[in-house]
Amino acid sequence: MDNLFYAMVFIIFLTGFWIMLRQSNLIKKIIGMNIMESAIFLFLVAIGYVKEGSAPIAIDANPGLAYVNPLPSALILTGIVVSVSVTAFALGLTVRLYQHYGTMDVDEITRMRSEEL
Amino acid sequence: MSDIIVRVVTRLMIPYLQLYGLYIILYGHNSPGGGFAGGTVIASSLILYVLAFGIDDEDLRLSPSVARIIESCGALAYVGIGLGGILLGANFLSNKAAGFPLGIPGRVFSGGTIVLLTVSIGLKVASTMITLFVNIAEKEGEEES
Amino acid sequence: MITAHIMPLTILLPLVGAYLILLVGSKYRLFARNAALAITGATFAMVCYITYLVSSHGKMSYYLGGWAPPLGIELRADPITAFLLLTFASVSFFVVLFAYDILPGEIKGKVVTRYYALYLVLLGSLLGIVLSNDFFNIYVFLEISSIAAAALVAVNGDKLAMEASIKYLVMSTLGSGTVLMGIAGLYMVTGYLNLDFLAGALPQAYANYPLTVSMTLGMLTVGIAVKAALFPLHVWLPDAHGSAPTSSSAILSGLVVKVYIAVLLKLLYRVFPLDFLAAMPLQGSLLVMATLGIFIGSIMAIRQRDIKKMLAYSTVAQIGYVFLGIGLFSEKAMVGAIYHVFSHAVMKSMLFLSAGLLIKYSGKRTIEDLSGLGRIYPIPMVAFSVGALSMVGIPPLAGFMSKWYLGWGALEANQLPFLLVLLVSSLLNGFYYLPIVIGGFFKPAAVAIKEEKIPLGAQISLLVLIAATFFFGLFSNIPVNFLTPTVQGIFNAFGGGI
Repeated sequence: MDNLFYAMVFIIFLTGFWIMLRQSNLIKKIIGMNIMESAIFLFLVAIGYVKEGSAPIAIDANPGLAYVNPLPSALILTGIVVSVSVTAFALGLTVRLYQHYGTMDVDEITRMRSEEL
Repeated sequence: MSDIIVRVVTRLMIPYLQLYGLYIILYGHNSPGGGFAGGTVIASSLILYVLAFGIDDEDLRLSPSVARIIESCGALAYVGIGLGGILLGANFLSNKAAGFPLGIPGRVFSGGTIVLLTVSIGLKVASTMITLFVNIAEKEGEEES
Repeated sequence: MITAHIMPLTILLPLVGAYLILLVGSKYRLFARNAALAITGATFAMVCYITYLVSSHGKMSYYLGGWAPPLGIELRADPITAFLLLTFASVSFFVVLFAYDILPGEIKGKVVTRYYALYLVLLGSLLGIVLSNDFFNIYVFLEISSIAAAALVAVNGDKLAMEASIKYLVMSTLGSGTVLMGIAGLYMVTGYLNLDFLAGALPQAYANYPLTVSMTLGMLTVGIAVKAALFPLHVWLPDAHGSAPTSSSAILSGLVVKVYIAVLLKLLYRVFPLDFLAAMPLQGSLLVMATLGIFIGSIMAIRQRDIKKMLAYSTVAQIGYVFLGIGLFSEKAMVGAIYHVFSHAVMKSMLFLSAGLLIKYSGKRTIEDLSGLGRIYPIPMVAFSVGALSMVGIPPLAGFMSKWYLGWGALEANQLPFLLVLLVSSLLNGFYYLPIVIGGFFKPAAVAIKEEKIPLGAQISLLVLIAATFFFGLFSNIPVNFLTPTVQGIFNAFGGGI
């Protein structure tokens, strides 16, 4: 049953990947990007999960508690910020492209551009 | 965008979002969180504001030049704290090894330089996200000098 | 003090410089380019010093915050990384020197400050990727570099560049997502992110979880291949490199694509044991993709009429050479691949810069319109010709030497067909480069052009790049002797090749 989690992560990852590659709408591509990255973060959460664990700070000598390895959480946090910034940048570009072409569909934009030439 | 529901809900949510962001920044060394995540939460609250009230709303808008100064200062403060480690005779970003006081574990002001680092990252990330969003979302030809 | 902390300071200098420029540059218009020139120059000097330290004392390590790995993040310099650092720092310095007077005319005045800041962030992240010895640090710098690179394409705000930029961004996020998944997988099976500790723990991990480790290797390789534009994952490259401003194209095509190859080198030669790689279908697929990339990139380049698009497709082909060198798994081919990273960085940035200059003065972008320009603008046309001849592989230019080592590597690995690939592709390169060179000097001018003075910085930068192409073709033994012991060490550690 433990591996079920990883299988789910993989399915979500591939879903995002597929959306990014196959959808021509830029907003959908960006959503796919976020789905893909969420899968990676879920994966990292699953790696780092310790049942009833606490943050690894020795407030008082309490040997009864299990400590969580902080590294996966740190990785997720960094990854989330990276993905948010990429999303922000991509959305900004999409807005600009929409102002120019009046559409958010990549294929449509390519067609309009080739007609212009 | 004149939808009343969006406006009211945004107005209700923003203070809590920002408080939550501050909490994440200040507790970054005691629990999962830190400057990156907290800064993003604060920035997203401001982006939400812009989305709900329009980019031209002057009331609460953080002006891009101020945001850019905060951004640069945040990054430079981070590097400055890191270089402090070198100046005190240890490695870059050294904490205890460079002699910074560690404080009482579990409190807000513990962990030596980490609080300062997360706060400066928080400022940097929040202002970067806002400048990025505002710059690109603005209409063509309206770029700030 | 500087000696002990040289590695973090080298990464920090451009990053700090970027924020200083943003802070001060909005008030003083001329500050940005002067500061950028000074900072890239200082970075170049520091990288030279790192190279000197590495050549005299051997490998260097630095622990951030004083935490030794596996807890802390480690920076590491060895001869290969020092060579790559030199490539990145020197080429980016000369690109800034070139752009000193050119750039304000090419992009909107208000964006110049931001452009230089982005440029320096990009340089800092490239140096960071090369120096990091920790996988997650590499990932963070990878993301910084891909956002900065996409922004450098779109900086001018014209719609073609923005369309290219978002395609680039989407593809490179796809790549880095896959890389991150691979890193997470490696962390899961070993519990380490430091490259040395990973290398130590991987054999055991492979014995326990063979499927996971193989999948991890696959994801990392595919992710890097997307970002490095290995055929058939190159679709984003021609648009992005073709529509960016001149100095962006030069640094994107010359350097940014290469840094992912540095990551691949770290991955294949530092982390995964060579006998494990031999058991995977990796070598065959790398070689096939590289060969296809070389041929199809060249054929697409022949079909282009737009000069910058042509150069961009040529990059797809040239990346194929580097992957070929890596995929051959032989000592000489590896030296050739690393050498080609350098020589292609010099040649391609020179080609893009001189082409940009010719486009700027003639106002035309097509190949036919470049004819006759050699008599009016000798320096850019000579630079273009030297770069083009070096691409084709005419001795004694730098491009010839890297192909020489690649060919030697193919012989050493007993892979004779790839010698033929090298020869045929050189012929193909000749097909699209030589007509421009001949037309540039011997045909009458296609359009009436009045002569304008080329700025001094651009002239110096092009002349230095020309000189470098000759120098590193004639004295290739200097860098090769510098690299060979390390490369030999890699192969000897695993009992000599495959």
